[in-house]
Amino acid sequence: MNNLKTSNSFVFNSEFDTNYLFSLYGDDYHYVQEILDTVLNDFQSLTDNIEYSYSSGNITALKSAVHKIKPVFGFVGLTAVQQQCQQFESICGTVSSPDQLAGEFETLKNKIFHSRQIIEEEKKKLELFNRNCS
Amino acid sequence: MSLSCIIVEDLQVAANYLKNCCEKSGQVEVRGHFSNVTDALSFLNSNTVDLIFLDVEMPGANGFELLDQIAFSPKVILTTAKSEYAYNAFQYNVSDYLMKPFTYQRFLEALQKIQPSKETISTNSASDHIYIKTDGKLIRLNNDSILYIESMGDYVKFVTLDGKKHITHNTIKNLEEKVSKHHFLKVHRSYIVNLHKIDDMRENLLFIKGNEIPVSKANKADVFRRLNIV
Repeated sequence: MNNLKTSNSFVFNSEFDTNYLFSLYGDDYHYVQEILDTVLNDFQSLTDNIEYSYSSGNITALKSAVHKIKPVFGFVGLTAVQQQCQQFESICGTVSSPDQLAGEFETLKNKIFHSRQIIEEEKKKLELFNRNCS
Repeated sequence: MSLSCIIVEDLQVAANYLKNCCEKSGQVEVRGHFSNVTDALSFLNSNTVDLIFLDVEMPGANGFELLDQIAFSPKVILTTAKSEYAYNAFQYNVSDYLMKPFTYQRFLEALQKIQPSKETISTNSASDHIYIKTDGKLIRLNNDSILYIESMGDYVKFVTLDGKKHITHNTIKNLEEKVSKHHFLKVHRSYIVNLHKIDDMRENLLFIKGNEIPVSKANKADVFRRLNIV
């Protein structure tokens, strides 16, 4: 990942594509904090939807649920996860049974779970940073 | 210039980001945010806007179904995470296609695409004729000579008084803005008719020189408004 560092800038976890975040929000860290907040508020329902679609064996719904969460990772700068979602969506189009997706689903699920953790951590760090700057 | 718009988007972070872009631009006033097609439709039944930022995949009906049901033709910018809607986007003559997330610069480019065509509408729609490109040449068609225009996928067919059919590469959505508002009205997703040529109307059908033209539910009220019913 490319990490953009300017004076007095927040240093994101290396999994975040900082240049991409900068292209979306500039150096408005308060706004980035707001974005992370909004994403975390919606995260549970988005992931519940993925879990439910998978467990009910509905590949079309699963594809749609993953499609829905995909841009969320873009908005927070986790562009690699966004791409992984895109790949999973493509695989969904090639299989007829959820069993054929078991491995890929487990990998994606873990990645999404991990992403939530690092978004939460980053939000806490950013809150502190913004408080100290204001 | 200030455009009024609504945002139809079920992903909160995307809707908030879009609102922020609109406010920052100073060019777009957001009149509402709706997370599904039903709520957006109920707003649009009694309000008009210049522009809709429209997500495609939402719970319930999708974004294109919204476009099928509204009775007027606002500009549309699709906001989606999928590129495979490009064909539909073309069919519905959407102004631009923003892949989420998009930069503020990209958002401004999309807005710029909307402005020139507004000027085109006012100049072209006042004219008493149009030119269409067919068989490698430009043909002049006077408004009074056109009975109706019918969609044929990527093409449209102009049916004229003399019984001729002129086929050209265009869409109904695009033509709706280019032809004279005084003469023509879109009565269905696939038809624009010359109001001065309607012989009669029965239930959901219009008759023009023996041709049956369907009238969609969404356009029926508009047709009644424009006919000189005494």
